[in-house]
Amino acid sequence: MRIFLSSLFALVFLGCASYPRKNGFESVKTIQEETLNPYFSDVSKDYIYRAKIEAFDKTFGGLFIVKKLGPAQHRIVFTTEMGNTIFDFTFQGDDFKVNRILKEMDRKILLNILKRDLKALIAEHSPVLQTFNDNGDIVYATKILSKKHYFYRTEGLLKKIVRVGNGKEKVNFIFSGIEEDLAGKIEILHNIFPLTLTLKRI
Amino acid sequence: MNDWKTSFIFANLCPYVKDLCAIFSDSFALLGASSKLMGEKRNIAVLRNSFVIAIIFLFSATLSAQTKMSTTEANALKTSVKRQADATTTITSDFTQYKHLDFLSDDIESKGKLAFKVPDLVKWEYVEPFSYSIIFKDNTLYINDDGNKSNMDVGGNKIFTQLNQLITASIRGDLFDDDQFDISYFKKDRNSLVSFTPKDAQFAEFIKTFQMIFNPAGEVIQVKMIEPSDDYTQIVFSSRKTNQPLSDADFSQ
Repeated sequence: MRIFLSSLFALVFLGCASYPRKNGFESVKTIQEETLNPYFSDVSKDYIYRAKIEAFDKTFGGLFIVKKLGPAQHRIVFTTEMGNTIFDFTFQGDDFKVNRILKEMDRKILLNILKRDLKALIAEHSPVLQTFNDNGDIVYATKILSKKHYFYRTEGLLKKIVRVGNGKEKVNFIFSGIEEDLAGKIEILHNIFPLTLTLKRI
Repeated sequence: MNDWKTSFIFANLCPYVKDLCAIFSDSFALLGASSKLMGEKRNIAVLRNSFVIAIIFLFSATLSAQTKMSTTEANALKTSVKRQADATTTITSDFTQYKHLDFLSDDIESKGKLAFKVPDLVKWEYVEPFSYSIIFKDNTLYINDDGNKSNMDVGGNKIFTQLNQLITASIRGDLFDDDQFDISYFKKDRNSLVSFTPKDAQFAEFIKTFQMIFNPAGEVIQVKMIEPSDDYTQIVFSSRKTNQPLSDADFSQ
């Protein structure tokens, strides 16, 4: 009985544990970083990616275009290979404006997914709430659109962002092929349902 | 899937958007959402307008360099294009595509090649800066996305049929349908510019105007799709060859 209660307690304790505790992060002095994510921070650049969306065993492609237009303003457009616009959004701070979206996709739930994912993808500045050490990686905890996000920096480069809810990883953003503040490849992986967005810079 | 509702612009070269929407619809269901992403009815006419439509107001800046044709001249052009299209059994061509978005510093440029064989066999292939091809064949859409091959059975899908017709008509230039478009004819240097403005309001939400430029021989040399925002996609054809023998291998993934 004692073992059972201990196990139950451990289960409940771990189940409710925070994300840093579950992952054994070591808390360190909070560091306010000027730029958490530099990959879409240059107003002089056009960020053009070939996009592949994998959702429920189907695959689709297109062009994913990001442009920084001001200190806190980004435009994000997704088009078909032929250039037909599927969606066109503007982020101004936390404000989100739909300039255009394929009528059939104009649904609140989908827009909410896109808003959260894309805002997290481009967010350069966000107050750091806590800082951790994870086996040499520096991990910054922040909130984006009121959701907890953890920015993993390895050897000075942002390699991963994790959106966390109830102590569990909900969405992973993986950056690779990094050269001079440009991410060659970006993957957005949803853990709740089979939705993956892969971006390759062209 | 049922018919499309709107936006065949997207379908025209990207018919999979239909499935994309369906997938999101499914995903919503998984999320417990009750809203349905896709409408039940799709307006085929809109699709018909889609790919075929291409080129007008882009040239508004250079409108001064073009003059409106007389009815006689316009009829002569139509006759010339029709004659050219009727005499064509195959076409191969390179193309350069420019996607213009006002907020970008530079247009997005991509290059590719196309192959067409009567009556409606089409391969549209991007080779640079990415590898992607679509083949329309036997009621099936064959997609090769950088080596990842997939296909979509579109048998019995009216949209597919019309999509194919649109692309075919667009390549051949044989696209003068007064029922669906307000058509204007211009002389532009030695070439002819024809602008097609969709009559269908729903379709016009997605494509404001479609322009085509014909050379004196009645061949399409440029196509331009202008969106309501005035952003556009311009496709310039080059190294066009007609009536060369094309085998099945030219239309394989």
